[in-house]
Amino acid sequence: MKLSKTLAATTALVSAFAASAALADDALDIVFINDGHVAPYHVAWLSGFEDAIAAYDEAFDDVKVTGRWLSAEGSLEKMIQQAEVTINEKPDIMFVNAINVDAFEPLVAKAQAEGITWIAVHSPMDSADYSFTLGDVVNGTNQGMAMCALSDGEPYKVGIMLGQAGNPSGEARREGILKGISTCDNVEVVAEQPADWDTVKAQSIAENWLTQFPDLDAISGVTDGYMYPSIAIAANSGRDDLHFYGYDGDIPIMQQMEGGNVKADILLSGTREGWNFVQMAYRIHKGETPDKVYDFFTPLVLSEENHKIALENGFPEDVQVYYVDQALEVAQNGYLEFGPDSVK
Amino acid sequence: MTSTAMASSAQNTKKLDGLTLRYLVLIGLIVIASVGFSFANENFYSLTNIGILLRSIAVLFLLSMGMTFVMLTGGIDLSVGSNVAFSGGVGVIALTTTGSAFIGFAAAIFAGMAIGAVNGFFIGRLKLSAFMVTLATFALARGLALVIYDADSINVSNQTFLWLGGVSWGNMPVVIPFVALVFIALSVVLYKTTFGRDVYAAGSNFATAFVLGRRPEKTLVWVYVLSGALAGLSAIITVGRVSSGQPWAGLYLEFDAITAVILGGTSLFGGRGMLLGTILGVLLYGIIINGLVLTGTNPYLQSLIKGMILLGVVLLDTYTQRGKTA
Repeated sequence: MKLSKTLAATTALVSAFAASAALADDALDIVFINDGHVAPYHVAWLSGFEDAIAAYDEAFDDVKVTGRWLSAEGSLEKMIQQAEVTINEKPDIMFVNAINVDAFEPLVAKAQAEGITWIAVHSPMDSADYSFTLGDVVNGTNQGMAMCALSDGEPYKVGIMLGQAGNPSGEARREGILKGISTCDNVEVVAEQPADWDTVKAQSIAENWLTQFPDLDAISGVTDGYMYPSIAIAANSGRDDLHFYGYDGDIPIMQQMEGGNVKADILLSGTREGWNFVQMAYRIHKGETPDKVYDFFTPLVLSEENHKIALENGFPEDVQVYYVDQALEVAQNGYLEFGPDSVK
Repeated sequence: MTSTAMASSAQNTKKLDGLTLRYLVLIGLIVIASVGFSFANENFYSLTNIGILLRSIAVLFLLSMGMTFVMLTGGIDLSVGSNVAFSGGVGVIALTTTGSAFIGFAAAIFAGMAIGAVNGFFIGRLKLSAFMVTLATFALARGLALVIYDADSINVSNQTFLWLGGVSWGNMPVVIPFVALVFIALSVVLYKTTFGRDVYAAGSNFATAFVLGRRPEKTLVWVYVLSGALAGLSAIITVGRVSSGQPWAGLYLEFDAITAVILGGTSLFGGRGMLLGTILGVLLYGIIINGLVLTGTNPYLQSLIKGMILLGVVLLDTYTQRGKTA
């Protein structure tokens, strides 16, 4: 009796294992190659990506979902090497946030010849199968127009912290911000400085600006990573009147918008974007064909009060704005819009 | 044989044994790392991956050989990574302006040598700190690169210019036999010429070398020029690899080169080390980087591993040096 029970249990276990193995014979292997891994946005990105991989793998019995995140630590050569090694591994989908897209053109063709889907992240590539973009120029323009609308027509001096020189995404954001600012006459850009996506460099730039331009009204940046040190330095210097215009939708920055000096932000949310990568990969794997240039939805974030002021000052009504509570909700639970339920 | 000569001979044998032991340890680590990574990922030993691995460390080989000469004199060259970007830019602009790949090659190498000459002049002739001078040219060369490129990349389609960095014979990148030739040539220079002996003399005891009329200050100038020339060569390979000139090429390569050279047994304090050790150091470093990518190791863990390797070899080097001087 005991032996027969044991045999039955073993048979059941083996059958269950065989059944699950048969169910998961389809595999989706995703590799994300990024230029870094230490900036606050990258940390959120990685966390969203890894959580989404685990969630999709658990949610679907018919597909084994795996993923890896590689960081080139800012080095073009390392990123090329990582892409070459990855192509040799033949994953299903590669997301590449290229340091410079021109350098990756030869590798896109190589990956496609191996049957790998290449998705260019943030900086679009014609040769890639898909480009996952943020609408950087439009977002930047919205940030610039918000500056115009919230400056009340008074002379308004602003310093803009840029990305790494030559980085397409950073350049597009700059182009947008300047375009937005150009819609009014009172906002003057007194300084532009690349901080290379580096919070430490942003810190020294903010210190220099506060010394060099005592009448500075605002600091604008192409990433919220610059806002953390800038806000701290302004507070330490007694500059409670300085305004900040961020980009990324980091939760701690958006939390300072109600009654605080952070006037506007762009809601990307790294976590949310990380989830969207996995959702997009899953959809492609299941035979869907997203738009070749896939625009991640990134609204402008303002407090309700500031939105009213902005509208009174001529801010366009058709610009989609999220208020702080709504933006925080999306940033915190935004993965729900890209979770396994969204594709079931 | 006098007692002094016998002691010196015994010390030389001991020194040789120390280095041999170091190389045996390195070879052992290379074998262990390779076997470990091959268990973790069966692709590790594939010919394609070996080709990728060798191509990816070709530039590091060249820069590290230059760095070995510099470190043998007791110096350091922090500018080599930025110099790759700068000399690549000069080479690509010369190529696009004249249409001649050979003028492009020459321009890249001369540009690299020019930065090296600036380093050599300030360090050798004006006796300034190698760390501070090359830290300055590290920023200067990157700034120059960004200015001449206007911070944007320049596409290159000239097949002659791209040949060295871009072409493979089967899975073997052509750059590897080229690097081997450079290694042989530099070994001859280091071990068979007066200049090579002067390099060791300058690093072992600068003052004594000066008193003996070995002109160590002149040796220093040429060592940095050599390092610059190898940065120029590296730039040509880098451009060939990515079919474009890139203002951000070579970022942080100086740290990889320093790590590989120390890993290979060259002393941070000068006067001790060999090119063979550097080759082994680069190979081990390259295998670790390749393996970490292949195994999909978390990037935070990768930084930790690389930091621990560097700390480990610096400690090893420092204790070895203390033991020798005690």
